Amino acid sequence: MPDEIKTNNILVVDDSPTMRRMVITSLGSLRQVKSTQAGSGLEAIERLAIEPIDLMVLDLNMPDMHGMEVIDFVRSHQAYRDIPIVVLTTKGEETSRTQALAAGANRYLTKPFDPRQLADVVGSLLGRVDG
Amino acid sequence: MEPFILFELAGTTYGVRSNFVQQIEMIDDVASVPNAHPAVEGVVLVRGQVIPALNLRTRFGFERVERDLRSRLVVINNGARVVGLVVDTAREFLKISPESIEPPPEALTGLSGHYLEGIAMIAERMILILNLDAVLDLEIENGRQDYGADA
Amino acid sequence: MDKPNADNRGDFFDQFLDDYYAECDEHLVAIRRALVVLEDEVHTRAVDRTLLDNLFRSFHTLKGISGMVGLSAAEQLAHDLESYLRELREGTVILSPTGFKALVEGVQTLEAVINARRNEQPPPSIDEIAARLQAASAESATSDVESSTGSDGTNVPATTPSTRRWQAEFTPTAELSERGVNVNSVRSRLQELGPLAQAKPVVKGAGEIAFQFIVTTDVDETALAALAADGLTFQLVSVESPQRSKDTQPVPTIAPASVVRVDLDRLDELMRIIGELVISRTRLEDQVKDLKRVTPPPVWRSLQETSLSMERQLRDLRESVMRVRMVQIGEIFERMTFVVRDLARESDKKIIVQLSGGQTEIDKFLVERMMDPFMHLVRNAVSHGLESVAEREAQGKRSEGLLSLSAATAGERIVIKIADDGRGIDRNRVLARAKTAGLAQGNAEIDDDALLDLICSPGFSTRDEADRMSGRGVGMDVVKKAIEELGGRMSLATRVGEGTTFTIELPLTLAIAEAFIVTVNGQRFAVPQSAVREVLEVESASTKVLENNEIISYRGKVLPLLRLARIFEMNYEREARFHVLVLGDETNAVGLAVDRILGQREIVVRALRDPLAQSKGIAGATELGDQRVVLILDTTALRQFAVTTHH
Repeated sequence: MPDEIKTNNILVVDDSPTMRRMVITSLGSLRQVKSTQAGSGLEAIERLAIEPIDLMVLDLNMPDMHGMEVIDFVRSHQAYRDIPIVVLTTKGEETSRTQALAAGANRYLTKPFDPRQLADVVGSLLGRVDG
Repeated sequence: MEPFILFELAGTTYGVRSNFVQQIEMIDDVASVPNAHPAVEGVVLVRGQVIPALNLRTRFGFERVERDLRSRLVVINNGARVVGLVVDTAREFLKISPESIEPPPEALTGLSGHYLEGIAMIAERMILILNLDAVLDLEIENGRQDYGADA
Repeated sequence: MDKPNADNRGDFFDQFLDDYYAECDEHLVAIRRALVVLEDEVHTRAVDRTLLDNLFRSFHTLKGISGMVGLSAAEQLAHDLESYLRELREGTVILSPTGFKALVEGVQTLEAVINARRNEQPPPSIDEIAARLQAASAESATSDVESSTGSDGTNVPATTPSTRRWQAEFTPTAELSERGVNVNSVRSRLQELGPLAQAKPVVKGAGEIAFQFIVTTDVDETALAALAADGLTFQLVSVESPQRSKDTQPVPTIAPASVVRVDLDRLDELMRIIGELVISRTRLEDQVKDLKRVTPPPVWRSLQETSLSMERQLRDLRESVMRVRMVQIGEIFERMTFVVRDLARESDKKIIVQLSGGQTEIDKFLVERMMDPFMHLVRNAVSHGLESVAEREAQGKRSEGLLSLSAATAGERIVIKIADDGRGIDRNRVLARAKTAGLAQGNAEIDDDALLDLICSPGFSTRDEADRMSGRGVGMDVVKKAIEELGGRMSLATRVGEGTTFTIELPLTLAIAEAFIVTVNGQRFAVPQSAVREVLEVESASTKVLENNEIISYRGKVLPLLRLARIFEMNYEREARFHVLVLGDETNAVGLAVDRILGQREIVVRALRDPLAQSKGIAGATELGDQRVVLILDTTALRQFAVTTHH
């Protein structure tokens, strides 16, 4: 009997609702994937507490809790240490990009991003070999 | 002394209290409303509102005539309804004291009772004071309740 | 140079353009509000840090989403604005009047760029303003900047008398979240108690996540009990004696969880459906009345009651949907304030803007249509009505001119007043001017209403800037028309030397629909587009007669024709060709024969309230901008004509 293919839950974190929708739509080509949204760092962490999250797509510049703080928090705790994180940065934030990777983000993409590229990056982090 | 607006219809002068008159306009486009009451010429746009234009000649049983440059739309607003009355001409104001208004005599043919509130005699001039509620009330035909065939 | 679809990515994100515009609008509203506050702080040294943070963030987000939809001019400009704000927040640059001006113009240009894309027009050039913003960012601070800094966390604490600092801890769970109790709702409720000094996540002993807040409040424990019921625990951290503090207000934000974004189109659709429900119910009422003769009284009475309660429920439904379309008029007021400050700055006038009734709600559709007319009136008040400082002082008036914007509901209408305490309108000069223009004769006296009519006459406009007393400038006829088209009214009250007040009344309810405009026997009618399945052109020769009905063949079947001219008992002539609007669905289609279809329009539906104006087959009236009434057809009633009358 084949193993059941697991549906991965992707947490999309950005304070812009339009941006969140764009990210989710970009991931539409991936199969067996569902998404959850958070509009701030605090909400993102709340989501982690409440439901199983398999990957995070994270904007860095958000109110109250900067994306970097979210990465720090996630990486310092056993339960969430291994969750893959894709960071979205904007132009002119080169230093943040380096810091994010140093703090434990797995990949980064610069806005504006190519939807296919985002899907590929997320897909490969989820261990998929998508055709 | 109350102010009245006077208008002419088929050679007779009528009066309505000016506080019921919202405005007096020249008659522009009247959109005819199909299957409406025969006295309703149609609807007009007045100050952004679409209101009915009631042809008083038809309402009172006079023959209809072509509108001309003197024809006017007297826009009545009695608080509940806004209706335009199409009349031959309207451009007079007059102050009339309530004492000069006599109740309409029963013998007056055609318009007895309901459409008229009364008749004022001012300097040899006869002015028929209208009862607006009756004029605007569709149930009343030809100035009297229909008791049966009458000339 | 702005290339809307810079690369293959651009097309993909085009589907988000509406969301993009909506989000831009929201950010621009917040930005304008912040700039108004910021302007007052330009000359003081203490600039509210939170304000700068919020502005920074707005520009940052605008930069991001603009880039995503391929609007690179907006992206670049937002980037420059963001950079400037970054320098300001960090204190490396102080906000100067030049810098502020660049900021304001940068925002205006950004808005223009976005609108250009929205209206598919070429965008304005951004090079000049971008250069100025970059220059402003490069200025260095020459002295210490005193700015109030936030402590660890979110808002600046402003201690109030008898303060206590509490640490509140909230552990989120799926059950609580389903009930609507989540970190955002908890945070807003805490903010209602007092300023929050901190909001941070922690991991507790067994690995579960909790959020800790520090809130300063003087409410007593019982108020906290309500929150405790939702899983919050409280711990007193410290008690502080009253001290004076700098008054800093955090800029209020709406908790995202309690807001749903709705397309205005969807609401229009809802209103249209409700409109149809209303018409159906009226028909039901007629039919119930007809049944009276043949139904036993108790049965008939309960039928009647059901019909009446449906009427009530429909009215409630209609009002509820109207309420969803409502926005606060404060939105327009804020924009106007912005414009006023702009204008005042450019001249030598000092102006105080007084707002009241900003929470009064108004239909969003009205807001969109009235924005320009209101701007006209406000601009006129500032440019022509209010005098310069010198002139005012010479008259013994206070040097600041007052512009007051107010709104209130009065029954089924909203009443908006735009008032100034400036020069007033000199009716003699208006009259003189009107006579020269051939718009008036004789009359020694004209009242305010007549004065307004004159000013709004199309031939009246004053192009002469110096001729301030004799009118209010170009565009008053357009303003009046816009207001009347919406079913509203405008009135005027003015006194020379004291000022002028424009009062605008608008109806609270409005219904809009898409309609075909057709002619029958020379008269125009409107047919709601939603009722029409298809439109055909037919040759008279191809019609046949079957049992007293005219028919044509349509999609392999027989389509009975309804001649509107005959139903409405108008004379008509058979044309060689005519148009047919197919009404109904597969099983009961009927063709409405008209002379010609003139086109499609979005119409504002006016109800025909007076019984004298009502007629079977007519659902209402509208006006197409030429002051002539066009009747709207009730297609459902008309279709019944086909059934009941044999042609």
